[in-house]
Amino acid sequence: MNSDVLVRVSGLHKSFGDSEVLKGIDFEVNRGEVVAIIGPSGSGKTTMLRCVNLLERPTAGRIEVDSRVLCEELPDGSMSFSKKAEIRAIREHVGMVFQRFNLFPHFTALENVIEAPMAVKGLSRSDAEARAHELLESVGLGHKADSYPLQLSGGQQQRVAIARALAMDPALMLFDEVTSSVDPELAGEILQVMKRLAQEGMTMLVVTHEMGFAAEVADRVLFIDHGLIVEEGSAKQVLANPKNARTRAFLRAVLERAPMAEEGDPAPEPAGSSAPGLSQIVEGSDDVEQ
Amino acid sequence: MDWDVVLESFPLIWKGASKTLSLFAWSLAFGTLAGLAVALMKLSTTKSVSRFATLFSWLFRGIPLLILLFFAFFALPEVGWLLSPFWAAVLGLSLWTAAYQAEVIRSGIIAVDLGQTEASDALGMTRSHSMKRIILPQGIRIMLPPFTSNATTLLKQTSLATLVTVPEMTLLTQRIFSNNFKFIEPIFVLAMIYLAMTTVLVVGQQIAERAFRLKT
Repeated sequence: MNSDVLVRVSGLHKSFGDSEVLKGIDFEVNRGEVVAIIGPSGSGKTTMLRCVNLLERPTAGRIEVDSRVLCEELPDGSMSFSKKAEIRAIREHVGMVFQRFNLFPHFTALENVIEAPMAVKGLSRSDAEARAHELLESVGLGHKADSYPLQLSGGQQQRVAIARALAMDPALMLFDEVTSSVDPELAGEILQVMKRLAQEGMTMLVVTHEMGFAAEVADRVLFIDHGLIVEEGSAKQVLANPKNARTRAFLRAVLERAPMAEEGDPAPEPAGSSAPGLSQIVEGSDDVEQ
Repeated sequence: MDWDVVLESFPLIWKGASKTLSLFAWSLAFGTLAGLAVALMKLSTTKSVSRFATLFSWLFRGIPLLILLFFAFFALPEVGWLLSPFWAAVLGLSLWTAAYQAEVIRSGIIAVDLGQTEASDALGMTRSHSMKRIILPQGIRIMLPPFTSNATTLLKQTSLATLVTVPEMTLLTQRIFSNNFKFIEPIFVLAMIYLAMTTVLVVGQQIAERAFRLKT
């Protein structure tokens, strides 16, 4: 067993009723690695992320975080999930940031950050507050400690949410389209914080539509479509020189806002398939072969 | 008009009013606690637990309150459970209140955004901690208006305890008019006292709503 592997997911399936959203996902995340998950809307990327801390319960497959098994398939094919306490113990070390912030609206920014460290880790109020002030300072919101979530902008709320997750000293951070519900001009302040976290060596699994961020910060990119990882590789390779026709079509749709071909449509011609515009976001992409 | 009748009987009315208030307070306290328990049971993923809660609210919302009071006062002694008129009335009123408040509390809980539970889960909080600190405090804001309206109904329905011989306000007022054959004044005063009491509840609701309003 390689102890450098923090997250190990294999054979992950998830169905909601009759619709199968994940159809057999395998991937690993190494300690200190930043992995971006991209893909069209409805491809299953958010569901996949939510399986990693069991906010969604897989219908099949095995998930291991930090050498602890969250769920696995028994020989008879049924699923075995860890006990509630074990799942909580794992979640303690897995921070999550949501698309819609999910801050506690009846608590101030500071109270949002100290609640879990006090309740779950048993920190004293003064220790928790000292740490929370540090964290709020680090996301540029030291002066907003006593503000309530609804008094903050979307960008500020999301940065409080990041501070709240970091307060648990997580080994892994999950980001679920964290810039999708803020105004575009506020996304930058969130991405800035995430970029700094990545530089500090945080292990991050990032579902995103921010191709610029993925290109700049991610070590690896997974492209998901229809519940399967269609393409996987370095950010440079996947974003600038995608091998798969679906990946190319998706990137063209995102970068040029061109409509994306539906499944069953003939695959877009590879001509000029490395979508124009990519070279602006992927450094050194001028050596991309056609 | 002969208000002297009322003035002379003031000590009696006062005694009745305090009995009415203690019937109300005990029944609201027991009813709300039991209602919270029933609401949480109804939300349980354990089938037998949620079924029991469903049965409870079906039963005690479906039977007239007066019949519940009769049951507690007349029927229970026959099976060896003798309660004083006051506690028999509290029992009936509490069960009835619990059934209604359970639905109010449950609706307040399920109205809180699911993202709040998910955020609590993701932080590793226990479900009971997130219920106590995250979900219920937000749900209360939603529960307050229907909760108060149930409480107002309860306050007025304590008058039914007259029929199981609890010497509360309505019973004692009847004593005034059966002694004096004056009806208008005592009934008017009785109505005004109930109105004053329910007004306090409504004002209390407004104050509570302000306290639980989210700061924007």
